[in-house]
Amino acid sequence: MRTDPELPFFFGADSGLFGMYHAPASTPRRAVLMCPPLGQELIRTHRLYRQLAQALAAQGIAVLRFDYHGTGDSAGDSAEVDWQRCIGDAVTAAGELRSRAGVDRIVAFGARLGGSIALGAADRARFAEVIAWDPVIDGDDYVSALDTMQAALREDADRFNQPRTHADVAEQWLGFDIGDSLRKQIAALKVTPANVPTLVLDSMPAGAAPRWEPLVSTRGRVAAIAPPTPWNDLRRLEAAILSHPLIQAVTGRMAEDA
Amino acid sequence: MREEAFRFGRARHLVGIAGVPEGAFGETGVIVLNAGMVHRIGPFRLHVELTRQLNAAGYPTLRFDLSTLGDSGASGGGLTRTQQVCADVDDAMKLLAERAGCQRFVLVGLCSGAQNAHTVAASDPRVSGAVFLDGYAYRTLGYKLRHYLPRVLDPARWTRFLRQRAGGGGTDKPAPEPVFSVAPAPREEVIADFTGMVGRGMKLYLVYSGGISYAFNHARQFRECFGKVMDHPGVTTSYRSETDHTYILTGDRARLVDGIGGWLARNFPPAAGRQA
Repeated sequence: MRTDPELPFFFGADSGLFGMYHAPASTPRRAVLMCPPLGQELIRTHRLYRQLAQALAAQGIAVLRFDYHGTGDSAGDSAEVDWQRCIGDAVTAAGELRSRAGVDRIVAFGARLGGSIALGAADRARFAEVIAWDPVIDGDDYVSALDTMQAALREDADRFNQPRTHADVAEQWLGFDIGDSLRKQIAALKVTPANVPTLVLDSMPAGAAPRWEPLVSTRGRVAAIAPPTPWNDLRRLEAAILSHPLIQAVTGRMAEDA
Repeated sequence: MREEAFRFGRARHLVGIAGVPEGAFGETGVIVLNAGMVHRIGPFRLHVELTRQLNAAGYPTLRFDLSTLGDSGASGGGLTRTQQVCADVDDAMKLLAERAGCQRFVLVGLCSGAQNAHTVAASDPRVSGAVFLDGYAYRTLGYKLRHYLPRVLDPARWTRFLRQRAGGGGTDKPAPEPVFSVAPAPREEVIADFTGMVGRGMKLYLVYSGGISYAFNHARQFRECFGKVMDHPGVTTSYRSETDHTYILTGDRARLVDGIGGWLARNFPPAAGRQA
């Protein structure tokens, strides 16, 4: 049977989750689960996630990228995205990765809310470590930022010939329907430290970085990445986020463990 | 109905998601091409919403990444980008023919996706329909009159202009950064292509948004740009001045998807529709 180094497939209870498995050339001894962020950030980081997965696979590491229910290529509508289900999907994906790679030790990586999901799933998914890139640790701030950008979008003259009505932009965040329950779940989000080593990669713009210390106070550290990542710039909403320093930081961390 | 993920193509370099409804064997297949650099799910997941709604209406679909975009790799070989696009879509048609028995296809593309769909549609007889979203556009005399005349006749603009001039400078507003752009093809060539497409029985649906107001600003511009071929019964046009280029608002996106579904149902009714 032919083995492709990158295999797209569906998995999970109803085969509703989309995954892309990156198989290294030789039998892997380590594995990384890549938890995507949500909304437009998932699309903006798609290429970077692929580049990182390929770089890790070249280090002999098995990698699984995947989409939560209601996101990407997975089953479900955008309005159905649910925080607890995202965490459950990450747990399911970790099990799938263990099974495919034949490896028990899994490090989780996630950007923004993907990092928060990785931290939230760490116990159930039995992650050995979490690498979180600019994770969202205070959901209330994140909701405020999205609401502010969505309000500005309504009268964005670079996008619309005429300002749109409030009804036109309601119940959405930057291109995606948002269910009321997810909004409440994210607003109430207070990410607590995971009971595993945690590396926070910080590329937040100056003055915007939250206090990471509580996340890493027991077993972990913070590493800065430059330049800052423009997560909340409406003018660059559709520009891909690429970061060679991020790839170097993650592959470097995994090389320390080799 | 369950979607299937595929790695396919002559070098197994392409990645795509096929949706084949039960009983849809032999129906017209719908293939959705990348919009700019966005991977196959489309801007704000447009392509996922579109293909699933078309699946529910009975159409087999494939959304996939062209070579070097999204999750697809390079095929190797020294093809030009145009040859590569044609070869990739050929691979996509073969996959959908194998999975769903499709012999004819409708291509859907936004912006550079429209350009790529146009390239294939102009030369491949298996393509029987195409949806071009913000495809080729040209600033016609009518465009310039509609664009500049209101500005020239607006006293407020003159007041602002004179005040700025007296103040010795303009504003420092940064130029907007275009995310997607379509390289122009010669207009006569595009008209000849459209004429050839409808001449061999193809159905075309041209949808333009207010997001390309730098090049297109009125429904009349279809005729101004492309001439009498726009009057052909095989051509349907729609100008959605209120929307942006990538349909960021979910209501706009739903109306676009409904519009494409309605156009398909009228021009390529699935078997269930024919029996009804």
